Amino acid sequence: MKPLAIALLNVRRLFRDRSNIFFVIITPFVMIFLMGLLFGGGRQLHVGVAGGTTPLADRLATSLGSPSIQVARFGSEERLLADVERGRLHGGLVIPAGYEATLRAGGRAEVRYVSRPGDPAAADLGSRVRWAVSREAAVLKAAQFGAAEGGTAGRADAGADAGAASAFDESLRLASGNAGVDVKVVTVGRSEIPPGFGQFAFSAPPLLLLYTFLTALTASIGLVQTRRLGISRRMYASPTPARTIVAGEAAGRLAIALLQSLLIMLGSAVLFGVDWGDPLGAAAMVILFALVGGGAATLLGALVGNEGVAISVSVILGLGLGALGGTMVPLDSFEGTLRTIAHLTPHAWGYDGFAELVRHDADLPGISSQLGVLAGYAAVLFALGSWCLRRALVR
Amino acid sequence: MPVLEITDLTKRYGDLLAVDHMSFAVEEGETYGLLGPNGAGKTTTISMVVGVLDRDGGEVLIDGLRHDVTSVKTKALIGYVPQELALYPDLTARENLRFFGHLYGLTARPARMRITEVLELVELHERADEAVTKYSGGMMRRLNIAIGLLNRPRLLVLDEPTAGVDPHSRNAILESVQRLAAEGVATLYTTHYMEEAERLCDRVGIVDAGHMLAEGTRRELVGLLDEHDRVILRVADGAARAVPTLRDLPGVLKAGGEDGDLELIVNEARSLLPAIIGALGEAGVEVRSVEVREPDLESVFLHITGKALRD
Repeated sequence: MKPLAIALLNVRRLFRDRSNIFFVIITPFVMIFLMGLLFGGGRQLHVGVAGGTTPLADRLATSLGSPSIQVARFGSEERLLADVERGRLHGGLVIPAGYEATLRAGGRAEVRYVSRPGDPAAADLGSRVRWAVSREAAVLKAAQFGAAEGGTAGRADAGADAGAASAFDESLRLASGNAGVDVKVVTVGRSEIPPGFGQFAFSAPPLLLLYTFLTALTASIGLVQTRRLGISRRMYASPTPARTIVAGEAAGRLAIALLQSLLIMLGSAVLFGVDWGDPLGAAAMVILFALVGGGAATLLGALVGNEGVAISVSVILGLGLGALGGTMVPLDSFEGTLRTIAHLTPHAWGYDGFAELVRHDADLPGISSQLGVLAGYAAVLFALGSWCLRRALVR
Repeated sequence: MPVLEITDLTKRYGDLLAVDHMSFAVEEGETYGLLGPNGAGKTTTISMVVGVLDRDGGEVLIDGLRHDVTSVKTKALIGYVPQELALYPDLTARENLRFFGHLYGLTARPARMRITEVLELVELHERADEAVTKYSGGMMRRLNIAIGLLNRPRLLVLDEPTAGVDPHSRNAILESVQRLAAEGVATLYTTHYMEEAERLCDRVGIVDAGHMLAEGTRRELVGLLDEHDRVILRVADGAARAVPTLRDLPGVLKAGGEDGDLELIVNEARSLLPAIIGALGEAGVEVRSVEVREPDLESVFLHITGKALRD
């Protein structure tokens, strides 16, 4: 099995270089983690609330909380501001000292939302805080109206103040109940990111595509060196047919790409709990995308004359096509022409295929169009790469 | 039957005839040197011999079998040591040998044994498990040769195997080649170094611009020159007295001298030297020093091509 021996030698040489261990094994997981935090939907937001320990202030603070928003109470505004400034909180809400009294007296209170400029998470939190405050304001207005109406009836009584307070609380209870108008949100079509979707499941598939292609391309350097040093010529002088050498070298690139894919797939499943969906579909995606990467690496390795050029082209193509194909900034945010151009890259098809598998529970037939395109890329790149390598060998 | 037989070998690159109807043969146990300047067609010839380059005409036979780029059977009979260091620098010597052993079809146990043998032959066995990057240039050259010996070749092809190596490694390489020739390996050897060709090669082919200009043993080639060996003797006294005696010796073509020097033109200086010293002794002439000047391959090359070998 000479092709296998050649392929295994390539894998061994990849890991003989210690820097590749860092590049292939560690970096992808760091990136999955960071990209998951940055773009993943499952982010936890932290909001602080300062001022007011009265019942109405407590109501407002409590109304901010949700599964994705954690609320922390602060005794002083200074501490709240300090934590926002240091980035410990995404934002803070300051409730003024006379909040409760003003509202109970039928007045208008003002709360302040504080955040750091240019922080997308703070902006996201801000809109959620505004929504919660508006909702609370509506209830309080209703309570104030109820208290005002009830208070007029009982003003002749000796305990008029106590009655007014009681009327406010009763009105507040009623306003907070089920009565009123609720908006029920019904979406049409399909959400690109389903509710409850894990943040790392969002970042892992694009990074698998990015790293598989990039690692495969950088593995072309080994092939360039093998040619430049005359090793491939020496192999050809041995009783090994050219087709066996070409098959072995191409299999070497494929093995490296596959290894990188599997490492990310299994590693992200274990470390971050990423569910890659239908195993058959995921396996087909990984194999076909590794074939695309392996074919590109074989072509590059056969065409380029020295390692310096190979590494430059690898990095430019690996990162450039990756960025264009949506592996750095989510492809879902691309629109119109840019999205069409993105689909000139195999990465975009890989992205779509994994999105179907991971987000929408598609099975193998469900990603057949993406697999078909990737198979086309792989066939063309491998055919070209093998032809060029054979030519370089026998020239 | 020669191990290597080349007939009318031709290779053309566009308008350039790189190898022009070249023919020669190498017998079992014979070391054949291809001598020529850069661009003479040596490496092109070797590339066709080892089967990495298609020829445009002619025939190559290895052990009587037709040989070309697709001939797996005949390639298995050839050991190839290219001019460049065709080694994986990041692997150890043993790993390099194991890989090429695999390509030559050696199975695990025979491969292990053979790898040990060739490592000892090129004196690398003590550093076999070090990465090649840690080797000196000479050690890399020796490993380059070791790979060529893995398959116990019938024909060993060495393309400038000592280029840029230290004297110790060069000597080790030349001794290895001599030992292999003694074991019956036919060797095709190209070099720039005249002294290597003279030391190693039983026959030499002089090539230039793709042509085989002359071939033969060293003596046959030197015979192409109208030159003879010269013996220069420094004597204590009586030089003039000894000249007639020396002229009478068979093989001495010319003798002359005055003061303390004698100069003789002879046919074969080395074989004639004892008779010359003896004759001087009988004439009562004390010999203080002897110098023999023989026409060398460099002179032959200059004579045939009109240029120095390293032009």
